[in-house]
Amino acid sequence: MTKIITTIAFFICSLLSAQTQFEQGMGKAFGLWKEGKNTEASAMFERIASAEKNSYLPNYYVALINTTAAFTEKDKTKLDLMLTKAQDALDIEMIKDQNNAELYAMQALIYTAWVVADPMTNGQKYSAKVMEAYAKGKAIDPNNPRVVFGEADYQLGGAKWTGVDTKPLCAQIDKAVELFGTFKPETSFSPKWGLERALESQKNCK
Amino acid sequence: MKTIFLALASLFSLALFSQNTISGKITNEKGKPIAGASIYIEGTYDGATSSGTGEFSFETTATGNQFLIVSFLIYDTYKQEIDVANFKNQTVKLRENVNALDAVIVTAGTLESGNKARVSVLKPLDIVTTAGSAGNIVAALQTLPGTQTVGEDGRLFVRGGEASETQTFVDGIRVAQPYGASTNNLPTRGRFSPFLFSGISFSTGGYSAEYGEALSSVLLLNTQDEPDQNKTDISFMTVGLGLGNTQKWKKSSLSVNTAYINLAPYQAVIPQDVDWNSPYQSLSGETVYRYHFTNGIFKLYAAFDSSKFDLNQKNINFEDKIRTDLNNNNFYLNASYNGTFGTGWHLISGISYGYNTNKVKFNESDVDSDENAAQLKLKLKKHFSNYFNLSFGADYFITKFNENFDDNIALKASNGYDSNIAAFYTEGDILFSKYLALKVGLRLSNNSLLEETNIAPRASVAYKVSRSSQFSFAYGDFTQTPVVDYIKYSKYHQFESEKARHYILNYQFTKPGQTFRAEGYYKDYSNLVQYDTKEIQYNSFFSNNGSGYAKGLDLFWRDSNLYKNLEYWISYSYIDSERDYKNFPTMATPNFIANHSLSIVTKYFITDWKSQIGFTNSFSTGRPYNNPNETKFMNGKTKSYNSLSFNWAYLLTTQKILYFSVSNILGSQNVYGYDYAKLPDANGVYNRQAVTPTADRFFFVGFFWTISQNKNDNQLKNL
Repeated sequence: MTKIITTIAFFICSLLSAQTQFEQGMGKAFGLWKEGKNTEASAMFERIASAEKNSYLPNYYVALINTTAAFTEKDKTKLDLMLTKAQDALDIEMIKDQNNAELYAMQALIYTAWVVADPMTNGQKYSAKVMEAYAKGKAIDPNNPRVVFGEADYQLGGAKWTGVDTKPLCAQIDKAVELFGTFKPETSFSPKWGLERALESQKNCK
Repeated sequence: MKTIFLALASLFSLALFSQNTISGKITNEKGKPIAGASIYIEGTYDGATSSGTGEFSFETTATGNQFLIVSFLIYDTYKQEIDVANFKNQTVKLRENVNALDAVIVTAGTLESGNKARVSVLKPLDIVTTAGSAGNIVAALQTLPGTQTVGEDGRLFVRGGEASETQTFVDGIRVAQPYGASTNNLPTRGRFSPFLFSGISFSTGGYSAEYGEALSSVLLLNTQDEPDQNKTDISFMTVGLGLGNTQKWKKSSLSVNTAYINLAPYQAVIPQDVDWNSPYQSLSGETVYRYHFTNGIFKLYAAFDSSKFDLNQKNINFEDKIRTDLNNNNFYLNASYNGTFGTGWHLISGISYGYNTNKVKFNESDVDSDENAAQLKLKLKKHFSNYFNLSFGADYFITKFNENFDDNIALKASNGYDSNIAAFYTEGDILFSKYLALKVGLRLSNNSLLEETNIAPRASVAYKVSRSSQFSFAYGDFTQTPVVDYIKYSKYHQFESEKARHYILNYQFTKPGQTFRAEGYYKDYSNLVQYDTKEIQYNSFFSNNGSGYAKGLDLFWRDSNLYKNLEYWISYSYIDSERDYKNFPTMATPNFIANHSLSIVTKYFITDWKSQIGFTNSFSTGRPYNNPNETKFMNGKTKSYNSLSFNWAYLLTTQKILYFSVSNILGSQNVYGYDYAKLPDANGVYNRQAVTPTADRFFFVGFFWTISQNKNDNQLKNL
């Protein structure tokens, strides 16, 4: 599960010739993230979010950076703060728009990070919430690859060692890989990560 | 790094004429630099992240007065209006956010469990996966320090207090009858299934002014705000059947749980120490309805329980066995609203009603009793700042109790009481810094039956000495109306409240996966009820002149880092307590107190076997008993008590669980005490009979099946 972070692909958009301030700012923030400067990248996205109230993307990336970083964080206090920050950023966008499958996929990822951090304490509480978030995402957009993949991958963990038939879940992962192939992000900054992780999961499914 | 910023910042503003440099340093209150803080002008992209030395510098194209914002995870966000032309080399001090997770909290006397607890001594699953607990909340709590295992009673005995000195609250509202009915050394269990509760806070002393009418301890159970999902739970057990269903809608949800328990098949297979004419049977149900408003939540909790049994027990005073036939019906309803309004106001209000009726037949005599108990509660809390909160509220308790005795020959008697208690309280929480917190409260109560008014001050303080350890101290005065056995004779005697004063010193050390607690306490009892006859009767001479003390040390260690998939905790309690109360001729240690108690709980998850295996060992030294053949009162001591329990949960699939448990595997012949004959035999010797469990071991096998959309959910938490 902790591999999620290492395999999430960061996509850096190529700078277009006619750049707006938003594009420039986003580009710079992605640059910082790619360099591994998570704090700076998160701060930059936060600044953009404070200025651009009409786009959900800056806050989405604040949530994504902090959540993926939390998967590898060992210090429990820091981990709590990171996930709280991610949740706060996501909440701002969730209030504005309850009809965005990407936000639900993000929500599920935050809950997954809580589960991974301490399965004994958080497992029962958040497992159902992870599934609920994916279900909501699916209701909005049944073909969002991150939702389809996330839901199947999360269940795969539990199913493998209890000996439940994993075939239907693997079929979902195959479907997700296909969806990643045909997925067209709305803008150049829209979420498009996840294919690499899905391919790896697909390999292990066979 | 800085050059990249500068380069890009200048790029942004090529077309503009004016540019201002904003620079300075970010430090904490002590002047130590903070690295990684985010500094920016609100509503613009212009900003920077502080360097390793806390310094920052960036350029902005904004002009005039703007808001400068500085934010960093564990600090309060700083917001200040500045003139952008004139903000250079300034130092910004950030104040530590006292709500951050590592701030000090008052912990003296309180053991917490659940998701919201900062330091959880029990995790949500523990109530049900602790060997020997068999899904009984009370049994799981008995593995914590400060409690006594009183096997013939089953209720919670805390720090030298009688079981009646502990009060149970559901969502902040008292439960008048928290235990199932029982009699004559047959242990009872808590009425509540752990299934519907998300958090448990167990206070072994020094609790908040919000709670009264409890001399020793309060047990706070909080129902879940929101269930996980729609699902159906089915269980087949060697002792009965269970069925549960949860439905979730957009703003509301409903959970219903029912169980039918019948011990007949079990008692037929396992030899029992008593003859059962009719086995223990019960039909019970619980339901929770929740509705979410924009700013609050309404909850309705209702529970019904009907149980009966009929048995014959040996009694040292009679040649023939005594027959006891018991029928109990219990209903509990609790409605509460918890919400926020205005700026920083929090309202908690609720109402509860409990009805309990017992019909008991001892041979030919009938003892019928019924109790109606209600509570009204209103609490307001004002959040003035992160450093100061004030709460105040009022409680009104109504109790009506009536008991009829008829020996079906000559004697008929009826006794009862009506009691009304009005109470007001106020409490302030002051946080001086992240390291020092103080809580001060006062509770004022008026009891119409006892015709008295009591003022009870409470105070606690906590000081954090390092990142992982802290000390707390708590002090409090507590009062409680004497138990029903006495006050049902209120028409013959005017009773007074019993009183206790607690002093508690606590040390707590926590690291991820590890918790250590040490708590020393002193408890002073006064105004305890005394009487001068062998049994409590209407014409006894009663007084409130009794007194007592309890002092001791409780240790707790929990660790999950020692070995992968292994969790364990160890509780040790030492207690020294004496009382001069009831019909004691002198100060003596009561029969429910063992000086040393030790519990070791282990749980080990074996992935390859898809199993969780657990062992619990409970040990306590002998308990005192009074031997009338000896001149000294309470001079006897039973042998020590030991019980090793085992459980095994096997996951057939993620949604089907097979569960097996056995208590006291080693079959230790435990003796809880001795009942002596009221009169000596021909040789002048008082004969005795040992009080023992009805069976040495208890076996349990169950199959639990969850049906839901989410294939990962199961009833591991319900076991």
